[in-house]
Amino acid sequence: MGWGAFRAQFRRAVCLSTEGTPTRQAAYCEGIVSDRPHDIRQVSDCVWELPRTGGMHVPGRVYADERLMPHIRGEKSLDQVANVAHLGGIVRYSLAMPDIHWGYGFPIGGVAATDPSAGGVVSPGGVGYDINCGVRLIASGLTHEDIRDRVADLTKALFRAVPCGVGSSGAIGKLGKSELKDVMSEGASWAVKKGFGTDADLDHTEERGCLSAADPSHVGPRAIKRGLDQVGTLGSGNHFIELGVVDKIFDERAAKTFGLTENGVTLMIHSGSRGLGYQVCDDYLEVMQDAVRKYDIRLPDRQLSCAPVESPEGKRYLAAMACAANYAWANRQVMTALAQRAVASVLGGSEQSLGLRLVYDVCHNIAKLERHEVDGKMKTLCVHRKGATRAFPAGHDDVPGSYRAVGQPVLVPGDMGTHSYVCVGTDAAMTETFGSMCHGAGRVMSRTKARKAAAGRKLVDELSGMGVFVMATGKGTLAEEMPSAYKNVSDVVDVMDRAGIARKVVRLRPLGVIKG
Amino acid sequence: MTERPDYKEIEHTADVGLELEAPDLKAAFELAAASMFDLMCDLDGVGDGVRRTVRIRARDADLENMMVRWLTELLYVFESERLLLSCFDVTKLESGLIEADVTGERYDPGRHALKTEIKAATYHDLAVDQTRGVWLVRVIFDS
Repeated sequence: MGWGAFRAQFRRAVCLSTEGTPTRQAAYCEGIVSDRPHDIRQVSDCVWELPRTGGMHVPGRVYADERLMPHIRGEKSLDQVANVAHLGGIVRYSLAMPDIHWGYGFPIGGVAATDPSAGGVVSPGGVGYDINCGVRLIASGLTHEDIRDRVADLTKALFRAVPCGVGSSGAIGKLGKSELKDVMSEGASWAVKKGFGTDADLDHTEERGCLSAADPSHVGPRAIKRGLDQVGTLGSGNHFIELGVVDKIFDERAAKTFGLTENGVTLMIHSGSRGLGYQVCDDYLEVMQDAVRKYDIRLPDRQLSCAPVESPEGKRYLAAMACAANYAWANRQVMTALAQRAVASVLGGSEQSLGLRLVYDVCHNIAKLERHEVDGKMKTLCVHRKGATRAFPAGHDDVPGSYRAVGQPVLVPGDMGTHSYVCVGTDAAMTETFGSMCHGAGRVMSRTKARKAAAGRKLVDELSGMGVFVMATGKGTLAEEMPSAYKNVSDVVDVMDRAGIARKVVRLRPLGVIKG
Repeated sequence: MTERPDYKEIEHTADVGLELEAPDLKAAFELAAASMFDLMCDLDGVGDGVRRTVRIRARDADLENMMVRWLTELLYVFESERLLLSCFDVTKLESGLIEADVTGERYDPGRHALKTEIKAATYHDLAVDQTRGVWLVRVIFDS
């Protein structure tokens, strides 16, 4: 069965009851319907505005097109865009990227910048539990022809090399508490010091893989206990390692700058801060419950609990969040080395001789203090990205020197059956979205529905028929993550491209995938 | 837990949630816990050989806050001890305090099929309400 037929078949199963015909638009009508009417208006080709009402401090803005809007209108994510607009000190808009879907607190795909000098708040709900969940892309000197007959062997080797699944542990042996504090303070560079990767990897990691605000003394004992044995582990849910190939180039110059060539083999890793990050979020949500009372903050959703960035509670959260973010970067750095070694062991040769090197690493669940222009003045803002990726343009100081002429690579994974994209940030992203764009395809079907739709199907065989070799720890994960549970990533990326927020650089096609 | 808990799974796009009714507040907490573990793993195959006492103290906490803390505590037991819990007996429930005896079995990948990872119990759309003598609980989890 071809990919189109596969997708249509799943969509038919879930859409007939609502739309009758299994069109793409019908598929985007899944979800829980909001009981709050929203007067959302199209203001340009790909931008929709949610007017300021009630306690909203600013309007909402959603990047989407006619194909994506029915689903967005049909679930509670617009309620969440409106809720985020209630945050104290929010600047310009409560933003949502085209992969927007119903989350908790913020919508997934939500971006909000607050101004600390005007009482702006930081909200753990705007970062999420998996702090610094993110993606990294590794390029190689290999072509598809070089590994055509080795995809299954390579995927199996990756599956053996990187522990995955719920609560996975034991990739590199249990750390001591003192060493874990080094991980939280140093991030990816801790991993490099321990022999996992090279300094060049740090150059190609957002923030060089370390937020300097990290202060382990603000991380609680439970988070530390949970973090001791999970460095170098993938986890579960939508986390994955994907062996892929560049199958289309849109921007030759940027692709060349990033070292990506047509038919070139790639590895993509998606994971975050594991149990340590979840616990930091849990702990600080309780701190923020008290802060909301202390600072008399009014919010429409308790999950948005927050404190002023400049308050003791806000500063402590940002210091602890930075520890979890650094843990996540160390985690992805260790996994990168384990994955590269696995590839080298299957193919023979070394990581160097196979040309394996990190293209870039981006985080998509984070709150960061960044400089942005507001009404003609440069200001330090607290930019929350909840399922959104930084997308800085050419010439920006925070883009690595080797990429500065073209801009920051933005990694946008799709579902495990279709494509992923590498894009590049633009000047428009800086003026419109605080240098942010989408982070993935965005779910369209609930996990429950996906499991029901997958019942009785042999997903592994069907994906194999599409040329994707898949291995997963849990059957449930594979069902929940099946391709038709997601929007079409090409539709999502096209909106960002048409809106001028980002440019497409290359498209990747999966060959082998491991899931938790 | 001798019987599978009766709850409704909420169709949340990104995550999972549950909704249930209970005759009293003690049962509401017990059923919410059992339902959460049922979302994670089929409880039919989970034994009750390991027992723990759980105590949560939280001054100024309201019912919703206590529900999140209770579920968070049990998730921590699972994560830190690899204990799949199947039976929950709330022995004390008063303002700012929950005590419970919980039993379960150590997670064995060979025998227990985990269905969904639950990272956390969230405050989003959370409800612990009494209507006409019945307690309604709604929780959305990050999964």
